Amino acid sequence: MTLLTPEHLRVKEEARAFTAAHIIPRAAEYDRSGEFHPFLLEAARESRIFAMAVPRELGGLDLDALTQALVLEEWGYGCAGMGTTLAASVLAQDSVLVAGTEDQKRRFFEPMARGGIGAFGLTEPNAGSDAGSGRTTALRDGDDYVINGGKCWITNGGYASMFVIYALTDPTKGMKGLSAFIVEKDRPGFTIGTVDHKLGIRSSNTVELLFKDVRVPAANLLGKEGEGMKIAMKTLDMARPAIAALSVGLAQRALDECVRHLQARYPDPKRQPGQNLQFKLADMKIEIDAARQLLHHTMLMRDAGVPYSVESAMAKTNCADVAMRVTSQAVQLLGSHGYTSELAKYMRDAKIMQIYEGTNQIQRLVISRAVLAPAVTQKGGH
Amino acid sequence: MDFLLTEEQQLIGQAAREFAREALDPVAPALDHDGTWPAEAVAALAGQDFLGLFLPAAHGGAEAGFVSLVEVLEALSRSSAAVAAILAHHALAAYAVDRWGTEAQKRTWLPRLAKGEVLAAAALHEHGASPLMAVHHPEGWVLEGVKGFVRNAGQAGLIVASAATGEGRRSLFLVEAGASGLETGAPAETMGLRGCPVAELRFNSVVLPDAALLGPADGGAALEAEILALAALANGAMTVGIGSAAVEHAAAYAKTRVQFGRPIAALEAIQTLLAEAATDCHLGRLALRHAARLLDEGQPFQVEAAMVQQFLGRMGARILQDTVQVEGGFGYSEFMPLPRLFRDMAGTTLRDAPADLPEAVIAASLLA
Repeated sequence: MTLLTPEHLRVKEEARAFTAAHIIPRAAEYDRSGEFHPFLLEAARESRIFAMAVPRELGGLDLDALTQALVLEEWGYGCAGMGTTLAASVLAQDSVLVAGTEDQKRRFFEPMARGGIGAFGLTEPNAGSDAGSGRTTALRDGDDYVINGGKCWITNGGYASMFVIYALTDPTKGMKGLSAFIVEKDRPGFTIGTVDHKLGIRSSNTVELLFKDVRVPAANLLGKEGEGMKIAMKTLDMARPAIAALSVGLAQRALDECVRHLQARYPDPKRQPGQNLQFKLADMKIEIDAARQLLHHTMLMRDAGVPYSVESAMAKTNCADVAMRVTSQAVQLLGSHGYTSELAKYMRDAKIMQIYEGTNQIQRLVISRAVLAPAVTQKGGH
Repeated sequence: MDFLLTEEQQLIGQAAREFAREALDPVAPALDHDGTWPAEAVAALAGQDFLGLFLPAAHGGAEAGFVSLVEVLEALSRSSAAVAAILAHHALAAYAVDRWGTEAQKRTWLPRLAKGEVLAAAALHEHGASPLMAVHHPEGWVLEGVKGFVRNAGQAGLIVASAATGEGRRSLFLVEAGASGLETGAPAETMGLRGCPVAELRFNSVVLPDAALLGPADGGAALEAEILALAALANGAMTVGIGSAAVEHAAAYAKTRVQFGRPIAALEAIQTLLAEAATDCHLGRLALRHAARLLDEGQPFQVEAAMVQQFLGRMGARILQDTVQVEGGFGYSEFMPLPRLFRDMAGTTLRDAPADLPEAVIAASLLA
């Protein structure tokens, strides 16, 4: 474990207690029903945890990056679906932190500090990994922009009060014409389409967003016209470790539950599982701890203000892959016990970690570019 | 042309593919969603002679052997692994009756199993807390205890159950579903193979006649191991079927999904994912056919079956992880087919017999 400060440990313990009280007892129920969990918002509002990334001057907790990761690990441990709800809200907030003016930050974060949640809208059916090929437009009309089009797979979309939406202000320029906007939930013409039913993280809300002549004031444009892709990429750099943190928590949960089941199966200390199984457990432990170190190191880099894009991509990729391997292994090792237990949920949940917030293939593109870059730009690497 | 298969085996495999496309493709998503017993599909399996595929013709079977069985299981799994699982577990019990049954037992059961008048189940696993014990009394065998994770439970009319008949001794029994004192638990909720019920069977002083003993008294451990080896082949066939269906779907998706101005199928990274998954399916299929052929020839096949389980156990989940990955966010949506295949696949690569790890079986053959 990273050598955490007493303050880190205090917040981590708080998050663990919250998870134990509010998330773990209801995770199976909400996974089964596939519904959103308004109770969670109520509890989170009280603990103010949804405001963990909100600046202190705007009423938030303003936790450093490492502490945010510690909180998300605990949420991922409790339920990756509910953890996704928190992570996606922070994702939307990050765009405003990256590019917002003081006025925009105040308007966006005020509801967040009161327990509201945010949603981030970049993906479209034809613009997944190729985020720059979206077709949603935001055309200038007087003092307003008029948004038309749609977004898909938007986490929290049905429940968020504030959105960050990426749309083309100049459709002729492709991704150079992409811009970012704050869009409030109650703008006329802004509606929710299909609610997706997913393999995992079923307790999180994933929807389609539809825009029909939605007018937002020019004051809602984040940064300048055409800066959308830059803002999105910076936001994703900040947010990817959140997926890494959920993954680490999820993998740890799978190992803990796997061990709990095995201990029940082998109650006699003289008749313990053989080395085949022992070593698989050891490998799971090694993978999880190594992944956690990579994540924490990345967070310390971000908190220190040094560039961390590549580390962010590596942490996301590695932690997601570890979560997939560990959860899958846990189900397999426990046989039918695993297949009929809560471990099956962890395996379904883990798969999304390799897909969302930039697939692991996109992360590998980022990482391999850095690996192949001329050595001179790699100084300081270690 | 597949020169590793006989013409008959190829025809059976093709017939199973066609049957699966026509009869199972349309119902598979609803079966997965509702998880209710697919009575029509099971009746159709009987109509295709699949329920008695390897049983002797003298007892009403098709006498087509075990290569044919794995071909059929693979073909069905491409469309509905749940229906394949129903057939697989029926086959395990039918195998035991055919292999070790007395003439009277065979005459009683095999024609009915072959025609599908009676569906069968194999009850081999235990929770550990109350293992099934059988004690011989003057009135017959008295069975007490619980068998866990029995597939086809609640639907099977005949159950082949293993029980301890003394310290370190095991025996197999033929148990009719209506036996007094036999209770079927509530079906477990499972993430996949939904529609093939799995539940525990509780034996509350179930009394069986001496004629219910299957195979030698106290000699059941080796028999159980052999049934589990056949189970490894059946699961392997399902793994290959699910995996192949996923690879085909992901490949078709990759050709139509355009990102960065071209189909993602043009990307080397996507091609690599598909190529690796297809390779694993192919190698698994060859190993599977080889082990099934040994069984057809009356040769020992347990080590080869263990190798199938070892290899596909490592590869199965990965094949679905990678094919879902090719389809990205679409692949994660339950409106698309791959999530069902992902969930089903996890059920075909389980390690359910901690005492008989495939590695232990393989190593024992090396170290003997």
